[in-house]
Amino acid sequence: MRVLVIEDEAPLREQLVSRLRADGYAVDSAADGDEGLYLGLEFPVDVGVVDLGLPGRSGMEVIAALRAAGKAFPILILTARGRWQDKVQGLEAGADDYLVKPFEIEELLARLRALLRRAGGWSQSVLHCDPLSLDTATRTVTLAGVPVELTSYEYRILEYLMLHAGEVVSKVELTEHIYDQDFDRDSNVIEVLIGRLRRKLDPDHALNPIETRRGQGYRFALARTPS
Amino acid sequence: MRSLQARLVLAASLVLTVFLGVGGFALDRSFHDSAKTSVRQRLQAHVYALLAAADVDSRGMLHMPASLSDERLQRPGSGLYAQVEGAGGAVLWRSASELGKQIPAAGPLVPGRWAFARLPAPQGGGLFMLSFGVAWDTGADGGQRYTFTVAEDVAAYQAQVDRFRRSLVIWLGAAAGLLLLVQGSILRWSLAPLRAVERELQAVEAGAQSRLEGAYPRELKGLTGHLNALLESERRQLARYRDALADLAHSLKTPLAVLRGALDPRRREQLESVVREQADRMNTIVDYQLQRAATSGRTALMAPVNVASVIERVVNSLHKVYRDRDVQAELRVADDILFHGDEDDLMELAGNLADNAFKWCRHRVRVSAHREGQSLLLAVEDDGPGIPAGQRDRVLDRGGRADAGVSGHGIGLAVVADIVTAYGGTLRIETGELGGARVCAAFPGV
Repeated sequence: MRVLVIEDEAPLREQLVSRLRADGYAVDSAADGDEGLYLGLEFPVDVGVVDLGLPGRSGMEVIAALRAAGKAFPILILTARGRWQDKVQGLEAGADDYLVKPFEIEELLARLRALLRRAGGWSQSVLHCDPLSLDTATRTVTLAGVPVELTSYEYRILEYLMLHAGEVVSKVELTEHIYDQDFDRDSNVIEVLIGRLRRKLDPDHALNPIETRRGQGYRFALARTPS
Repeated sequence: MRSLQARLVLAASLVLTVFLGVGGFALDRSFHDSAKTSVRQRLQAHVYALLAAADVDSRGMLHMPASLSDERLQRPGSGLYAQVEGAGGAVLWRSASELGKQIPAAGPLVPGRWAFARLPAPQGGGLFMLSFGVAWDTGADGGQRYTFTVAEDVAAYQAQVDRFRRSLVIWLGAAAGLLLLVQGSILRWSLAPLRAVERELQAVEAGAQSRLEGAYPRELKGLTGHLNALLESERRQLARYRDALADLAHSLKTPLAVLRGALDPRRREQLESVVREQADRMNTIVDYQLQRAATSGRTALMAPVNVASVIERVVNSLHKVYRDRDVQAELRVADDILFHGDEDDLMELAGNLADNAFKWCRHRVRVSAHREGQSLLLAVEDDGPGIPAGQRDRVLDRGGRADAGVSGHGIGLAVVADIVTAYGGTLRIETGELGGARVCAAFPGV
């Protein structure tokens, strides 16, 4: 999952970026509205974290500009003033949720996870496709109730595919949303990771949770289990 | 044009100039006309006198007496002249006054016809000339025709007109001066209350008085009333900031003391949890006091706010935030309900109440606003667990101790209570029709 962080206070921005990276997100960050808007328009962002009080172009303007350009990824606003006027204006400009500073970073992570799964059409924090379950809060995967050990990148790929369950996801898309910049797109590392995931999730070749669509990409094929 | 007085004086002077100018011109014109008419009447009388004096003998010869009734006709250069012309245009008789100055011939005139003209003279001045055509019945061959002409120098007429103009200018000027003077004093008198307001405002600024005390005319009552309201709300705002600052400082002392105590080496193992706990507490305090200081309360100069549109915006925003919850929000707010206060305050109030309702409801939230006499009633309810009767007072109790905020409904309700108090209203918590908490704010005369 690729997160865009636009925050002018350097200590908070660095804290956010390092924590998000540690939690397996690919992160782009900007210290002002103009750079942030550029990143939001040019990169395949999955979710944005935008501070309202930015120097230059304000957070409100960045959000409005992103929405006007047709960018639909969910956006969480950070505001220092807890006034409802700000929250309502931010949400009206196109944001999806707000968080008042100061906040616990765990709270921010939970909100981002909620926004991401909402964007994928999931309403619970546990993505359930019988017999597979992925808990976005604890980042754990169980197969028929039995925990499956996954590496960080394996988890990221599975989470992305499950959030977009039913859709065909290309290799390029997977690469862009899972790795930070400067990743060699021609390498076959995605294929290797998919192969390892398949062995872990479907040792008997009975389930076939991840289909390969030749020339197109991959598709998570298990049906979503209604909650 | 910075001064009202200068504007009014200028406008009045312009109007006065135009009116007096037009009036003077009309008077001058009508005097001219009547003077001319009187000249003509005088000349006509002279013509009749000449006709009476003239005699034509049986051979058709005109005879004029040697002496005429008006001695001016005898005196050369007197300014009054007369002559008689025959049918062919030849001058048959000239008055003695024409000696050395011949007046032009009038030309033959049809009998019974008058001709009046003003002839300009090359050396200035000029003549008024009146001619009358006459047919003299001599009994012989159908009679003789004559033209009798009397002329008068313009000088006398001109002198009369000049005299009139001089006095006209003097009197009109005097009237204009007097009017301006009177108007100036009326202005000074009318604008005196404005100068009084200025003096009083200076006194307020200097701290000598706290409001405008003077008795002002009706037209200024609105202005001074609003100024007093503004001064009052500024003062209240200042007091609120001061109180909030003092409250903030005092309420931060406790967590600071706890933090300092946590540095005790014997309690090292608890340091992390104490820091976390006290940071939370300080954050709550800062939030609460900030909100409190930002509440503006009622002022006299607020544009009324449409309640329905504010509530709609808040509820739409909350739907976005609580998208997972599938909340059914019902708005019972008529379009014409207005809140005479600060929009920020209303949004803060509605936001906090509706946020709590969305948070605690199972599926349904209802926001309603209606008028009851002079009061505005705003109620938010949900179908959640509600607030037990025993805890309602504690939830609303602020007492300046924000750090004792009740968990769950958070500082939201305390903020709402503060806003309602700032508007002189009351806040009530009860069990609503939906089964959960119903929070009702009543604003008197807002």
